[in-house]
Amino acid sequence: MPELRKDPIVERWVVVYTEEPFYPKDFQITPFAWKGTNNCPFCYGNEHLTPPEIEAISEVWRAPNTPNWKTRVVPNKFPALRIEGDLDKKAIGVYDFLNGIGAHEVIIDNPDHFKGIPELSDLEVEYILKSYRSRSLDLRKDRRFKYLLIFKNVGFEAGASLEHGHSQLIALPMVPKNVKEELKGAKTYYEFRERCIFCDMISFEEENGHERIIIETDNFISFCPFSSRFSFEVWIAPKEHLADFGQISDSLIKDLAKILKETLTRLKKVLGEHPYNYIIHTSPVNTEVPFYYHWHIEIMPKLTKVAGFEWGSGFYLVFTPPELAAKLLKET
Amino acid sequence: MPELRKDPVLGRWVIISTERSKRPEDFSTPSSPPEKECPFCLGKENMTPPEVFSIKGNQGNWRVRVVPAKKEFIKKEGELWKKGKGPYDLINGIGYHEIIIETPNHIANMADLDESHIHDTLLTYCLRIKDIAKDERMKYVLIFKNYGFTAGGGTVKHSRSQLIATPINLKRVKEELEGSKFYFDYHERCVFCDIINQELNNKERVVLDQDGFVVLVPFAPRFPFEIWILPKRHSPDYCKISEEELWGLSRVLKKVLFKMKTLLKDPHYNYVLHTAPFRRPYPGYWSTIEEDYHWHIEITPNLSRVAGFEWGTGFYICPVLPEEAAKFLREA
Repeated sequence: MPELRKDPIVERWVVVYTEEPFYPKDFQITPFAWKGTNNCPFCYGNEHLTPPEIEAISEVWRAPNTPNWKTRVVPNKFPALRIEGDLDKKAIGVYDFLNGIGAHEVIIDNPDHFKGIPELSDLEVEYILKSYRSRSLDLRKDRRFKYLLIFKNVGFEAGASLEHGHSQLIALPMVPKNVKEELKGAKTYYEFRERCIFCDMISFEEENGHERIIIETDNFISFCPFSSRFSFEVWIAPKEHLADFGQISDSLIKDLAKILKETLTRLKKVLGEHPYNYIIHTSPVNTEVPFYYHWHIEIMPKLTKVAGFEWGSGFYLVFTPPELAAKLLKET
Repeated sequence: MPELRKDPVLGRWVIISTERSKRPEDFSTPSSPPEKECPFCLGKENMTPPEVFSIKGNQGNWRVRVVPAKKEFIKKEGELWKKGKGPYDLINGIGYHEIIIETPNHIANMADLDESHIHDTLLTYCLRIKDIAKDERMKYVLIFKNYGFTAGGGTVKHSRSQLIATPINLKRVKEELEGSKFYFDYHERCVFCDIINQELNNKERVVLDQDGFVVLVPFAPRFPFEIWILPKRHSPDYCKISEEELWGLSRVLKKVLFKMKTLLKDPHYNYVLHTAPFRRPYPGYWSTIEEDYHWHIEITPNLSRVAGFEWGTGFYICPVLPEEAAKFLREA
């Protein structure tokens, strides 16, 4: 019998297909059509093809906008939002407008065009995470920004328009809808039980047979959530209760780099090359820190199409039960 | 400067990205995997589970046929149970999942059906919803269409819609109902009626105005060339549609789908019927729904990809100005 499962944080139900669960071979995954390094604006020597860099991590001395960087942060050439100007609100009849104030940056993960996170060294992944933290701490100095979204699109079907590994950061003048819902859910749970929902989830997973846990380290846990929206969805959460990703320590970054790389490597082993997104879920900035929140990373492989049912319902159909996905990812 | 626009019903923000502004010819329809044997054609009735409903023509052959889905995500047999597991909630997958086959002929796109088949399909929606309403366990019937491979339509190119009935209210539907109620509580008017009036006065986003229906590109669309069809007569419930309106809707739907097909080179698309849930009085029952909600159809061509930003925020980036999209569609 199929199961309807409810997300314990937001009011989102998913339908888990249990009759004939999908194994990796059952998904129609289109292989990546690699185009190569020709004129890639993210490769060494093509620094002039991007807008001037905001910052970079490098192991040697270098002038800005020249090669020899390890990670490089640049403004998005086609920004969804622009950083100049004052926030302006207006309305016409039933409709509300706001001008597009914000920031849209690209973090180039590594100079190597063809390497994804599984192919990088632990140290190289650490550099990426350090760039995330550094941008998060810098952008919050602008008091107009209320939320900093850090995410990654890999593969055409997951929305990546360039194949050279990169991440993105968008600074928004308001707290987005999905984040609001998550904060509200976490707050309701906390008010009722005086405990953090994420801490409770982690201890429940640890105490109940580990059937959804993939990797556990001293500081982090990676697991397939009970109410995954996507087949092979994986979350990575710190064991220590912390709301703001920006406050992560150097030693935790080292640990996070290892578990992130290991998790993505296992996903690649089990599913082959596949499109995916990951998103850092963290607390808003320039407002009260929500003590009831717990930052984490959500990795969402895109193996099936989101279609009419999902758009119409806000529910998701999951073809591989999370327990099976965790088992396959653990055993690989 | 990009513009942020807010949907007046859901309060959902979208970014109208003028930087990457696109024209209809910038979009292309991706190729699909090879087609398998079609189980939906006349004479192949034994390839589907036994039919639950059909409309027959003069010669006794079926014109529209409804069958349970082969891969049923939810099943109608059994007792509904609900339980908790630590911090998690689940219920068993009781419900209906049916396929509405719109024609006995192997025609892929609804745009190419004749009006009488579209009429019979729209009538079938109405009759199936009314029939399932008798099942007290059910709360909502979602009717939608996935056309084309990238829109989740699979590899069989035979025009059909789907129906899923659920024992819980759907998140997306709830949000829309709450948004409409919120507006009504404040203004004592239906938000959709207000939208229709404002759009008909201004005309720049109106695509069609005929047979008692208004077709428009919404002010804050999630996707390029998103289209809504709204009845001018206020009614929360699709099932209360009159025979005359059903014929009007058939003409309008065909015209709109055909315009989309011509302008955007046969794009893959989804549409979703938005109608009121079953209204069974219970304590705390919503009594203003008759006045505050307004049924309609939302059509979303599959031209852009949903990526990390959309998943993380619940906001959307739309690369086409709605006013321009409406102009292109009017002239197509």
